Amino acid sequence: MWEAGARLARVVKPITQRRIADYAEASGDFNPIHLDDEFAAGAQFGRTIAHGMLVAASISEMMSASFGLDWRSSGRLKLRFKAPVFPGDTVTAFGEVKEVAGADVVCAVGVRRQTGEDAITGEARVTLRREP
Amino acid sequence: MYNLKDMAVDYSTLAVGQEVSNRSFTLDADTVRKYVDAVGDATARTGKTAIPKVPPMAVAALGLRGALDELGIPSGALHAGQDAAFAGPVEVGARLTCRATVSRNSVRRRSRFVGIALSVEDETGREVMTGTTTLIMPDEAA
Repeated sequence: MWEAGARLARVVKPITQRRIADYAEASGDFNPIHLDDEFAAGAQFGRTIAHGMLVAASISEMMSASFGLDWRSSGRLKLRFKAPVFPGDTVTAFGEVKEVAGADVVCAVGVRRQTGEDAITGEARVTLRREP
Repeated sequence: MYNLKDMAVDYSTLAVGQEVSNRSFTLDADTVRKYVDAVGDATARTGKTAIPKVPPMAVAALGLRGALDELGIPSGALHAGQDAAFAGPVEVGARLTCRATVSRNSVRRRSRFVGIALSVEDETGREVMTGTTTLIMPDEAA
């Protein structure tokens, strides 16, 4: 049973350059800002950064772990990318139930770097097959 | 839709509603396995040799690939936002059709924001995922 204030089990991921390269291969996103040290050195953040969708995947994993098939069947995400994640970072996906209305559960979600900085913030909604 | 591939895209000319990509692909086991391994999604792993479940975000990420290719997104573009809605599990082997249209094209504080709306359907025509990706173009492409 979900109720406002309940916290979702966190998902912790180390972000390495190897993981970023693997994600580029898997997704087909070869933007050099993720992969090329020389290019990234001259770009906004001065070094390579992780793909936003790689980091955001940890939120979906957290929601899948908490809500299972309901997440895959009815999940809705609204995310804003607030800060870059760098190779060598460890990120933590976090979530808290903000509202339960009938079968709908609304969660505040995000991903935080080990520095305490929020890399992603947003909202996730899911409709439960059985009302809580 | 006009063919954007291999053209130098003038992003200022993209019109809201313009179709930029319409592609089909099969979500094969190897593609899904690579995605699951890359993101490390423990909820998608069903056993050492078993075929993984398809994480919903994999559909979003792989569906977006066509639009990124067709638009020739410039080096240094940044992902500013992502909305997604999932309408049902997608299984390995599914044939998906992804249609991407421009949902936003604006300049704010000298940066160009391009929104791409994505609709993904399975082979039966069922919409399995919709979403919107917001990109910030690097200054030289604005």
